[in-house]
Amino acid sequence: MRALIAAATGLALALALVLALTAVGSPPGKTSPKPLLTTVPAHP
Amino acid sequence: MRRKASLVLLALAVFCTALSPLVRWYAFPRLAKIPASHYQTMVLEAKPATLLDYGTMRAKKVDKVTIVQTLKGNVEESEKIEKRVGRDVVVWDGLSYVQGPDGKMVSKIPERYIFDAHTQEPVHAAGEMVDGDRVKRAGIEFKWPFLTEKRDYEYFDAQARITAPIHYKGTQNFRGVEVYYFEQTIPWTKVSMPKTMPVEGITPESVAETGTTRWYSTVRKFWVEPVTGAPVYGEEIHKEELRGGTLLGGRDRVTAFAGHVKMREDYIRSTVDLVSSQRTLVMLLTSYLPWGFLGLGAALLTLSLVLEARGRRPGDPAPAGQRDPAPEPEPVNV
Repeated sequence: MRALIAAATGLALALALVLALTAVGSPPGKTSPKPLLTTVPAHP
Repeated sequence: MRRKASLVLLALAVFCTALSPLVRWYAFPRLAKIPASHYQTMVLEAKPATLLDYGTMRAKKVDKVTIVQTLKGNVEESEKIEKRVGRDVVVWDGLSYVQGPDGKMVSKIPERYIFDAHTQEPVHAAGEMVDGDRVKRAGIEFKWPFLTEKRDYEYFDAQARITAPIHYKGTQNFRGVEVYYFEQTIPWTKVSMPKTMPVEGITPESVAETGTTRWYSTVRKFWVEPVTGAPVYGEEIHKEELRGGTLLGGRDRVTAFAGHVKMREDYIRSTVDLVSSQRTLVMLLTSYLPWGFLGLGAALLTLSLVLEARGRRPGDPAPAGQRDPAPEPEPVNV
């Protein structure tokens, strides 16, 4: 019984961690202020 | 004490083992995405090239024609579309600016490409266009999906505004990176005149009145890093002609542009570096972490079982709950 509880705890923690990480995601950021180029850049 | 430790190890083993498939099949599709704010420039050159001289309406050889391509993620627009479609979307406002050897503009084609941030599937929304013309894309453009497969894909051609297969032609090594080589041929196709013409006073409408039409053909080649789906190198054998009408002075056709367009060397190096670093991040979610967690889970489970076995030495009384029930008392005859 105690082994079952331990396994369930591990599974629940794994699920919680992945769900939390994916829910947070990555911030969208901001549109770059750089323009659409109409000149040839010297370097990347 | 050993029993407690083995239970903790068992919990950790299940935790790690469960993380393995969760990271690969749940987290990866939700975390591996093109950032909505991505900004990228690319310089391609055709050396030499054939270009139309609009003064004489004759084709002439030139040393170099340069194409500057910018892709700029429009975060505000992507957030608006995401609210409607309910998934992460990227909106790329792009500009292909072609410059002649004298530094003057040859053509500039703006476009808006809207797609799913993970699968790369096109998303249709107001504003999707090429050179001001509303389009409804099918297939991919600019980039392949993560974990690109060895198969043909449908690729959108912005000049012809059509989708055609781009064929997988084999696996190669490009500057130390394993890449899939893809090739697409667009046969001669009648296409619309660019909205912005290189000579002042000439408009697409005024050209159309002369009966002259624009035709285009290309062989498009991409070397794609399969884990990220990002092309590390590209080439295009590009041809454009003006055909018929009074503008050509009785000639059947004249070359408007012809050249073998290749990425500039410094951009190849920076692209290979960028893609190599991004590849590691994607591999982390698709391979390194899932396999690492699985191995760790197996090791922890083994350790847990060993501890449990040692905790149950032969001769030890079984735990209270597992003891045999006491024998029933037998009646005694007096």
